[in-house]
Amino acid sequence: MMLSVENVSLAFGGVKALSDVSFDVQEHEIRAIIGPNGAGKSSMLNVLNGVYHPQTGKIRFKEKTFSDMDPHAAAALGIARTFQNIALFKGMTVLDNVMTGRNLKMRCNFLQQAVWFGPAKREELEHRRAVEEIIDFLEIQHIRKTPVGRLPYGLQKRVELGRALAAEPQLLLLDEPMAGMNLEEKQDMCRFVLDVNDQYGTTIVLIEHDMGVVMDISDRVVVLDYGRKIADGSPEQIKNNQAVIDAYLGVAH
Amino acid sequence: MPIEVIFFIEVLVGGLLAGVMYSLVALGFVLIYKASGVFNFAQGSMVFFAALTFVSLTERGWNFWLALVITLAVMVVLGLAIERVVLRPLINQPQITLFMATIGLTFVLEGLSQLIWGSQPHGLELGIPDIPMEWLSQKWNINISQFDLFAAFVAGLLVAVLAVFFQKTRIGRALRAVADDHQAALAVGIPLQHIWAIVWAVAGFVALVAGLMWGVRNGVQFALTFVALKALPVLLIGGFESIPGAILGGLIIGATEKLAEVYVGPMFGGGIESWFAYVVALLFLLVRPEGLFGEKHIDRV
Amino acid sequence: MLYREAGQFKSTYAQDQQIFPIRQDRIAIALLLVVAFVVVPLVGDQYWLSALITPFLIFALAALGLNILTGYAGQLSLGTAAFMAVGAFMTYNFVLRLPWLGIIPSMILAGVCAAAVGIVFGLPSLRIKGFYLAVATLACQFFVLWALQRFGWFTNHSASGVITAQQIVIFGVAFNTPAEKYLFTLAIVVVMALLAKNLMRSETGRAFMAVRDMDVAASVVGIPMMQTKLLAFAISSFYCGVAGALHAFCYLGTVEPEAYTLDLSFRILFMIIIGGVGSILGSFLGAAFITLFPIFLNLASGWLSRAVGIEFSSAAVSNLELIIFGGLIIFFLIVEPNGLARLWQITKEKLRLWPFPH
Repeated sequence: MMLSVENVSLAFGGVKALSDVSFDVQEHEIRAIIGPNGAGKSSMLNVLNGVYHPQTGKIRFKEKTFSDMDPHAAAALGIARTFQNIALFKGMTVLDNVMTGRNLKMRCNFLQQAVWFGPAKREELEHRRAVEEIIDFLEIQHIRKTPVGRLPYGLQKRVELGRALAAEPQLLLLDEPMAGMNLEEKQDMCRFVLDVNDQYGTTIVLIEHDMGVVMDISDRVVVLDYGRKIADGSPEQIKNNQAVIDAYLGVAH
Repeated sequence: MPIEVIFFIEVLVGGLLAGVMYSLVALGFVLIYKASGVFNFAQGSMVFFAALTFVSLTERGWNFWLALVITLAVMVVLGLAIERVVLRPLINQPQITLFMATIGLTFVLEGLSQLIWGSQPHGLELGIPDIPMEWLSQKWNINISQFDLFAAFVAGLLVAVLAVFFQKTRIGRALRAVADDHQAALAVGIPLQHIWAIVWAVAGFVALVAGLMWGVRNGVQFALTFVALKALPVLLIGGFESIPGAILGGLIIGATEKLAEVYVGPMFGGGIESWFAYVVALLFLLVRPEGLFGEKHIDRV
Repeated sequence: MLYREAGQFKSTYAQDQQIFPIRQDRIAIALLLVVAFVVVPLVGDQYWLSALITPFLIFALAALGLNILTGYAGQLSLGTAAFMAVGAFMTYNFVLRLPWLGIIPSMILAGVCAAAVGIVFGLPSLRIKGFYLAVATLACQFFVLWALQRFGWFTNHSASGVITAQQIVIFGVAFNTPAEKYLFTLAIVVVMALLAKNLMRSETGRAFMAVRDMDVAASVVGIPMMQTKLLAFAISSFYCGVAGALHAFCYLGTVEPEAYTLDLSFRILFMIIIGGVGSILGSFLGAAFITLFPIFLNLASGWLSRAVGIEFSSAAVSNLELIIFGGLIIFFLIVEPNGLARLWQITKEKLRLWPFPH
């Protein structure tokens, strides 16, 4: 087991984002978190990543247990993520953005970097090579020198995925990676997600609204509604679960 | 009462009243920030420009009230011009860009004021002498200046009027909407340019009042532009968006600065007023990064 | 046509990561360096060297320092002059009290002192941002200046508060004449600009820009917020400190607090606004513009008054300078917020085709 969420509750002032949520994630699996809008899915991801701190409950990742981690520590542990509203560095090129994903692997200090020749140059080129592989994988070679702010939404999402992959994470958190994409782009993104899971063995937790995507690519699904877990199982089980259907379609009173 | 207590009260009250003077300048900043999201670094030079215009008119023999009205009109026109030339082309630029534009504006106003009216210092009289209140000094042996009290009264009145304006009127609501998000305000049909013109005109009026008060206190000279620098720690403490914050912040800064100058200063050889207010504000910020009444900004990811 | 990049292919990442990947750029820079190091000292007029070119280089270095902090790392600072003052005063004191150190190690140590001050006054940046931070840096500006004037140790207890900078002597060779001071300054500025460029295209630069663009995301990616911000303050203050030392030793000739007022901090801020925020080239362009501007204005007003027959008083000229200055800042912010550096880039792109229309 790679990740275990135990009785996590999160509230913002009076608003309860998550209430006593528990589930686990197996190594190498693709786990989807779904639910109607406002169910607390992004909040859950933010808790996993240390951006939000839950009031109660714990997260167990690998051998560590914690409830108040900061995002930087999460990154160091091997957790990477993408965001719903694209958190790329708008002032930098695609290449630079993806390179920032490698920063935890870079050892040279600023003095060595100032001199450039020697260890800093070697390290930079070595990581450039690794990043270029990811750029090839995601088929964004043609825009590598373009400032990210000029790219269309779909490509920005891909670059963000690249930045997350650059860290060679063990756990990848994807927040609506297909949002706002047309059919072709979605198919490409699905392919990338599956390839990442296959080739690199990365465990993936993703939030997604498109049921077709969820059914196709995920191994198991967690369903949230109003901050509570209402279902947990394989896509088939979820599809036929009455509570899930009620949550999405509404119930007549 | 023992002489040390009397002295302390005098210093404290003097500091509080000086703080009110800072608040007057800070009010101008808050107004513009609250209503257009712009941190108007040029407020100090607006104060200077207003005071200089008024004083130059009265010295040329114009009637007090007429000069006041004319200066007010000039400030309104200035506000309109600023809106048209500087703000409109920069709609929806990041705050930092607008801030730097107001720095440029500061230079323009400073140069313009002196080009038009010359650079000699002027004295300013408003008819209220800077002498101790009689009954206070006779009864309790405490010396507090009449003029200081008058300035405090004026400031209080101004704050009350502005607070009501922002909270209760339709225009006030529109101003707050604009400060939050230019594009959204445009989208709901708020006439952005009219609003900004109104705001800068009102800020001009506040600058005039502040200029008059400070002009009596320190004389109308180029150094008046530096009062803006004194108002900045006030804004740090009170929050950039709060009118009551400007007053409270002013009181805090004024009092601590005066007290420090008198009681702590001699230990350091004097001159600590140049930075003391800033350090106080800095320490305050470390505890409360938005100031007393500022709005907490939550970064939603 | 002049500027065709076609045919210049990079076959290794190393080639792609060069500072000047285009051959025409490399030739231009080489020529520029030759002119700067060889031609100018031989041909240059003493006055121009000491009153224009040397201060231009010094301010360019200070602008570079501010650009690292404000342009790359996004931390607005109004305390630049204070860091320059620290550099100037500490260099004087090191040369005075530890004469065996030598001038260059003294300057480096003085820069380190400035960096230390920068770190202390950069600590608030961990909690506050934007204007609040800018106003907090004013605390640094005022406090440092007060401390330098108040504590006599800094001025070696001189009665007037103004001290003469010592001579620059390296391995027995004195740098006295304007040409020699110019070369000394030029060498230091070129080396430091190169180091800065290397830093900004490495991970440090990327970390700075990430913190500037979206610091929550930077944290998520693993960039350490505190270290990055403090490093930005440290490096920036180091650069400003060295610039301050050069300012005292190679330009003014004296070490005085009045030279490092808030006014200077604003001037350097304007240099990076007009030159281009977040650009090394921009620092140089902005410094050139602002150093040359008053001269240009003086000449223009002289010419105008001769042409039209009106005498412009010096007060009028200096007020006009303020107005035009402020107006130019507003103009640049409206028209090209990325400054002269961006205009230069656009020019280069047009040069690719010129004289053909497309």
